[in-house]
Amino acid sequence: MTPAYPIVKPSHVAGVVKVEMSLFNSREEIEWYQIELFDLNWTNIPFASSYRIINIGYKERKSFDVYIRKSDMDEAVYLCTTSKVRKTSKSRTLVSSRICSRLDGEPA
Amino acid sequence: MKYLVTALSLFALPALANVPITGTVEAKCVIQTTKDGVYGNPIASKLSTTPADGGVLPVIRFDVSLADSYTANITHPTSFSTSPTLNDTVAWTGSTSVTQTSVAGMSAYEAAKVVVENTTIFDLTLAGSTWFSTASSATYGSSKPFVGGVYTALVQASCIAK
Repeated sequence: MTPAYPIVKPSHVAGVVKVEMSLFNSREEIEWYQIELFDLNWTNIPFASSYRIINIGYKERKSFDVYIRKSDMDEAVYLCTTSKVRKTSKSRTLVSSRICSRLDGEPA
Repeated sequence: MKYLVTALSLFALPALANVPITGTVEAKCVIQTTKDGVYGNPIASKLSTTPADGGVLPVIRFDVSLADSYTANITHPTSFSTSPTLNDTVAWTGSTSVTQTSVAGMSAYEAAKVVVENTTIFDLTLAGSTWFSTASSATYGSSKPFVGGVYTALVQASCIAK
């Protein structure tokens, strides 16, 4: 998921800002990704987006906007996408991958 | 006329212009599963991904485009995501190690890793690819045999912007 440090832009709704993100699926066995927003302590923060869970094919890229209340921006830190794994019929470990961007800017 | 053509030809030099091509490489992290993990069942009460126990270690590859932009946080399982009904407790152990690197300097990641409960944190200070493997072992309570069925557990691999 890119960018790692998204730019927060004003949206068409007063009191709401938006970030523009892009997701690329590099995992052949994964078709679905969930968008989540967290604070520094990994507590969920509310947001709005066209998708909560994105269906994206292997080697495909999809762009999406995330809308966050201005009042939540002091708390919002990690914007993440997490892969959703399918149930399997073999005894095995499954790998769930999560990529997180930071909304509080690049490290100084 | 002849002189005019000669004079003009002196000015007919090829048009040269430098057209710059610019680009930027932004911080980016890609996670891929190189090898799926499989639980071996060396004794009735144990499931393990360790090859010595008949299992296969899952291998996860992290590609980062810019140095010092991300940490890799890999969490080994502490519960089954699917299993038959179990009536006793399961004791879990696990660990994550660097198994392969694209840059020699990345081998230092292993010594610098930080383990917090069941999560291992690697500071990805160099650009390139790193492969990690996660060992996972589950032992059923009081050495009881695991109930027959399918057991799956989830390894959480996170790439978090610093």
